[in-house]
Amino acid sequence: MTLRATLKLTLAAGIVLAAGPWVLSDFMLSLTLTCLMYAGLAVSWAMFSGATNYLSLATAAFFGLGAYVTAWTLQALPWPVVVLLGGLVAAAFAALVGAAILHLRGAYFAVLTFGLGELVRHAITYFEKSYAGTVGRVLSATPEPATVYLTVLAIAMAAVCTCALVRASRLGLALVGIGADEERAQTLGVNTRRVKIAAFALSAFFAGALGAAMAVRWTYIDPPAVFNAFIGFQTVLIAMVGGAQTIIGPLVSALVFSLLTEFLRLQFPYLFLMILGTLLILLVLYLPGGLASLWPLLRARLAAVGAWLAPLEDRGRRG
Amino acid sequence: MSFWLELAASGLITGGIYAVVAIGLNLQYGLMRIMNISHGEFLMLGAYLAYWAHTTMQLSPLVALPAIFAALFVLGLLVYRLCFRRIARTAPNVEAIEARSLLVGFGLMFLVQNAAYLAWGADLRGYQYLAETVNIGGALFGANRLVVFAFAIATSLALLVALRYTLLGKAVRAMMQSPTGAQLVGIDTSVLHPAVFGCGLGLAGVAGALLSMVYEISPSMGEPYTVTALIVITLGGLGSVSGSLLGGLLLGLVEALGMHFTSPSLKMLLSYGVFIAVLLARPRGLFAR
Repeated sequence: MTLRATLKLTLAAGIVLAAGPWVLSDFMLSLTLTCLMYAGLAVSWAMFSGATNYLSLATAAFFGLGAYVTAWTLQALPWPVVVLLGGLVAAAFAALVGAAILHLRGAYFAVLTFGLGELVRHAITYFEKSYAGTVGRVLSATPEPATVYLTVLAIAMAAVCTCALVRASRLGLALVGIGADEERAQTLGVNTRRVKIAAFALSAFFAGALGAAMAVRWTYIDPPAVFNAFIGFQTVLIAMVGGAQTIIGPLVSALVFSLLTEFLRLQFPYLFLMILGTLLILLVLYLPGGLASLWPLLRARLAAVGAWLAPLEDRGRRG
Repeated sequence: MSFWLELAASGLITGGIYAVVAIGLNLQYGLMRIMNISHGEFLMLGAYLAYWAHTTMQLSPLVALPAIFAALFVLGLLVYRLCFRRIARTAPNVEAIEARSLLVGFGLMFLVQNAAYLAWGADLRGYQYLAETVNIGGALFGANRLVVFAFAIATSLALLVALRYTLLGKAVRAMMQSPTGAQLVGIDTSVLHPAVFGCGLGLAGVAGALLSMVYEISPSMGEPYTVTALIVITLGGLGSVSGSLLGGLLLGLVEALGMHFTSPSLKMLLSYGVFIAVLLARPRGLFAR
């Protein structure tokens, strides 16, 4: 798909979805909201990690950081500023951390970013305990559900558009180059360090903004809830299942996973996670490119069938 | 004086467990770049096996240790056969092995941990074993802790000696240095790889059984140990068993002292701090030359 088509499609989908609060039932609205959140998280994750093959598990850290920005500033600042600030804080944190750890590759990077979530969680728990005297915070005067929905929708759309724009830009090419062979990219004149930090921070911005916006859905916030490692895993899983090299892959699988989560997780919490784990294993073993890698395969099959049918058609016409 | 002795000893005892867990993980990672993030879940299985043996058959956990090692060894062979063999064969390069095995490890973590929740529920369990205290030089220790420490150190040292002085150990070290080279000199890697992987899980099981003698167990107990093991491996250097032993003891000490001087709720912060500091300053391990 061309860049222009992607942007148009996103805008069209956004306009349709914006009717949500006035059309959908409360249950469907909350389902759509979860779906949009994961779509935004997965697409913004794929923007950095899908292209560069740097497996970041820090989504939970950025998300939680955004949520805590809301908890700290909701009373004092207007809503759009709060959400924007959540994103900016997460991005600044990502840039800072990225500068320190983005020279590590592979498992080290993955494990460090996973540790980051825990680190921030423990740090905030400690900070709140020593200076605020409490660990959890009650959010009062939260915005209307419709406002929250539209905010999350806007962030998700912005994430998709940004991802499309980045992929079409020099930055996107540099990222893919880093993913293919970092040293070669360096040799060809890419400032890999700066590119990686910029993309990491950009992807963190969306996770932070989503965290800030979603925080008001819980009326009570404490570190275990908002730094939930499950949010990070689910994001990675959605992007990988869909195919992290594409945009449409994560979007489709965000939809599937939100539905699955909503219907299975509450009834069979443990079984659901077991299925999720099995799915992840099978996927990595047999379809490392994600569902999106099925599409070219399918198209080739269709083309083959078409080529096989063409002579028949010809014959039919002649006869 | 006795206070400092107790503090240092408690650090070393935790460190001994860390060492066993980390050596198991190091065998897997050092050998084939299989980053088995579900290592802690198998530690949890070992702990539950020991608990089960103690409560149903009144079997001392120390007697059950070899059986637990064997059970997890077999489980390790199975896991290797089902998951990691395919990755090792189909991945285009070492980096892909690392990334894919990490994801498979997360899948296994979900699978095993939640299966445990389903089977045993979320509540903490425990049993009493050698709970009396022993007085050494004015310092008081739980007898079970001393036994745990002795077994942890003995297991690590036994493995270290086996790797250094036996022919089999030499073969394993050769594979760590160069898998292809090892094959060239006639080492059957297709047998030894799964065996070493199984050995790693067996060690996790032993560590879990030892832990169950001292602490309460729950299905989610394994995760922190995975992270700690990763920190220890980083401290000691990839593929270095003696490094893991020293690193484990060192981390135990640092945690015990750090918690004493700051606060117990900072334990994880301390470990991560050490982890990040080592990765930044000496990414190849503290003892690398």
